[in-house]
Amino acid sequence: MSESFRIRALMSIVVALMCMRPAGTQAQDTSGKVPSEPPRTSLVNLNDAVSFEVCPHTGMMGSSGTFGLKLMTTYSAFSLELAAEQVIGKTANLYPVSVNAILNLATHGRLIPYGAVGVGLFLTVPTSALGAETVSTLGMNFGGGARYFITRNFGIRIEGKQYVTSVSDSRGLKNDLLFFEEVSIGATFLFH
Amino acid sequence: MTMKLPPCARVLALTLLCTAPLTLSAQPRFEQSISLSGGLYAASGFGTNFYYDGRYDYFIFGGRYFVEASLGIGSVDSKVLSTVTKAQLFESNNLVTYEFSFAYDYAPTGNFPFILFGVAGIKEGEESTFAGVIGLGKRIPLPGLFGSNSLGFRYDIRDQIMSQRLNNSDPFIVHNISATVGLQIYF
Repeated sequence: MSESFRIRALMSIVVALMCMRPAGTQAQDTSGKVPSEPPRTSLVNLNDAVSFEVCPHTGMMGSSGTFGLKLMTTYSAFSLELAAEQVIGKTANLYPVSVNAILNLATHGRLIPYGAVGVGLFLTVPTSALGAETVSTLGMNFGGGARYFITRNFGIRIEGKQYVTSVSDSRGLKNDLLFFEEVSIGATFLFH
Repeated sequence: MTMKLPPCARVLALTLLCTAPLTLSAQPRFEQSISLSGGLYAASGFGTNFYYDGRYDYFIFGGRYFVEASLGIGSVDSKVLSTVTKAQLFESNNLVTYEFSFAYDYAPTGNFPFILFGVAGIKEGEESTFAGVIGLGKRIPLPGLFGSNSLGFRYDIRDQIMSQRLNNSDPFIVHNISATVGLQIYF
């Protein structure tokens, strides 16, 4: 290889490096404007708009099986939910109907954990005891859960809740505070 | 170097190339369906009666998995109980069932049936019972029927397994079996 060729090659490399230098220094300069990147789209983004969800679910309350449906409207971190379910007992069915406020601990992505609190009506309808009447009481509930979205419109929802209600005896002399725990799993369908 | 395929292999490759997209796109483009079915319901300890149900399915992962909600109506009328023993266990003989199920369809466009499991609420007369459900079935798309590609045929077999207690008896496990066929509309 001739000496002149080596010199020309070396000069070419130096010229190339000099041309690249300004670009390299700009890349480190934080005062300049950062080039805008296309926004990263989450699978589900609750900040986009008001969304609605329908959540059929099943689970257990004590040793009794449950079925229910929840209708929910969400904007960002807050959701309002109307829930109704049937708890199938041995001698009676319990129908808790409640309105719940939900705080979503995440507003985008696949996994949305949340906490919930609500108030409602508990209807106890006896099935086998002759002459027994339906009993209705007021109660509250609190708990938490998570929704995991598999697609933009469909996800799985798990939840654990504690229900509290006060039942008085037939003469109204004594109140008993009753606690029920419920765990449930269901599907959630999201609409915008 | 060139590799020459025998004519039969070329024909086979061309056939596979042409049919594969049709097979793959027959079902997965639909996300949901509703279906109406009719058949028989054998309530353990009672008779076998006609049974009708409506189902809603939501498909995920190209139809390989789906969740289903169903509502069925029928009867627990029993000729043996009513004519021979003159017994009337319930005030009415109405049967209402509702199910939430999850299904795995190994071959949505093939011949292998899907398998399903879930839970059900069964109301026989005034008695409500919580039940586990296992079952199988098949969705058979009928492209081109009535000029539509969104119709299909389906058959389902379900076993609703529950613990039952009648007239203060000890609880016992019963299997209520249903077999239905129906029409499915995809959308």
